[in-house]
Amino acid sequence: MTETLAQRLGAVLKPLLGFALLLLVWEYGAPLAGIPPYVLPLPSAIGQRFAETFSVQMHGLAMTAFTTLAGLALALVVGVLLALLIIYVPVLGSIVTPLLAAFNSIPKIAIAPLFVIWFGLGYESKVLLAFLLALFPIFVNSVTGLGEIEADLIDLSTLAGGSKWRIFTKVRLMNAVPYITDAVKVAFPLALVGSIVGEFIGGNSGIGHLILSGQFNLDTPLVFATLLSITLFTTLGIGAVSLFENAFLTWRPSQRKR
Amino acid sequence: MSVEIRNVSKSFRTTLAVEDASLTLGDGSFVSIVGPSGCGKSTLLRLVAGLMPPTGGSIAVRGAPVKGPVRDIGMVFQSPVLLPWRRTLDNILFVAEMGGRKPALWRERALELMQLAGLSGFEQSYPHELSGGMQQRASICRAMLLKPPLILMDEPFGALDVITRERMGFALQTLWNESRNTVLFVTHSITEAVLLSDTVVVMTPRPGRIRDVVPIDLPRPRHADTLRDPRFLELSERVRDGIEAQWVE
Repeated sequence: MTETLAQRLGAVLKPLLGFALLLLVWEYGAPLAGIPPYVLPLPSAIGQRFAETFSVQMHGLAMTAFTTLAGLALALVVGVLLALLIIYVPVLGSIVTPLLAAFNSIPKIAIAPLFVIWFGLGYESKVLLAFLLALFPIFVNSVTGLGEIEADLIDLSTLAGGSKWRIFTKVRLMNAVPYITDAVKVAFPLALVGSIVGEFIGGNSGIGHLILSGQFNLDTPLVFATLLSITLFTTLGIGAVSLFENAFLTWRPSQRKR
Repeated sequence: MSVEIRNVSKSFRTTLAVEDASLTLGDGSFVSIVGPSGCGKSTLLRLVAGLMPPTGGSIAVRGAPVKGPVRDIGMVFQSPVLLPWRRTLDNILFVAEMGGRKPALWRERALELMQLAGLSGFEQSYPHELSGGMQQRASICRAMLLKPPLILMDEPFGALDVITRERMGFALQTLWNESRNTVLFVTHSITEAVLLSDTVVVMTPRPGRIRDVVPIDLPRPRHADTLRDPRFLELSERVRDGIEAQWVE
């Protein structure tokens, strides 16, 4: 079914319209309600502050984006490898899984100061924190995607002469791709939380640092302008994953055209 | 001899799934195993494929004793087990890739099989775009692609409605007629077994035993009229007697 241009335009315009309406109510409603600007700055002031601090924003965002994406990439590699270990060496799985589950029950944010002690104020502690927050959802989804294959399908592949390697690349891995893209959508914002918390605790760069300096100077518009930068980044990130899904996972029920 | 099953037994813990089964399948013959649920017919099929070892006795496929999964066997299950991310044609070519063959060399044959199975025009459709019957026909095409000497079918029409089921029987006959592989076909439908087979093996449960072996001498090809042939009814009766004998005992 091909959508008409009007339908496609409508799909974009409707949420934009809602957003514009919200901004209008905010801009003209907040002064009427008597909310002081240092509590809730007006959208126009936020926009102005964003424009003024644009180069600082982008510089901070670059740092935060780097630690977030590095942590996410590391979590992808380690998460998938751990999942493989559990599937192919069940004995190790029964040792690793409870350890991981126990570790996951510790709020990672609470141990963030430890990482600063161990790895210093540089980017390493932020990458590690982003990695730890992103690891669990990727690991759990990889175990499901790589492991939950119909037994009949494995039998059929074996009888057709399929080696373990071919079954891995052509069946297990392919089956796992949508599970992993779903996991990345959850893990990406988590990795960002890790990076920003790392920046809160120590260091003098990144988006987290910018938010803190806004707080110290009671520069609420700067805090909001920084939040806007973060939103732009997450939107781009999730958008990239969705583009990948639209291009390669057209067979998925969620990607089926209605 | 394509398959030789000699005094095979299989037990799971305390239950005896198959007891002392002996059966020989000639080259290019279509043999059905028919019986109620739990009579060990699927177990026997998996033993022949080498997907599990027998507790006693021995099995040979084309003269070679079965020790572990037998390579180059076609397999059809009750569910189509198609890969949802592959289009139908690529699903049929899947077994060529698994066997390390160039799928391009088998494309022509895959298209021919699809045409025989009435799947022309659906080469580029995803499995979820096909009906249940079409999915199962695609899975039969996949099993036949590499012209395997032996095809095992485990209640392939078990999940389909009665009308589709009857049509599928004739579609299978058309496909088999073209390649004439040895087929071991497990079903609980007496009609299906008699209609399609050269030999019908009757099994009864607890313990799973071969009760009767009925040669089907109906002329081929068989069609809808065969179902009304007095000889067909006579043979069906004999199969039914074999299955029901255990309830009388």
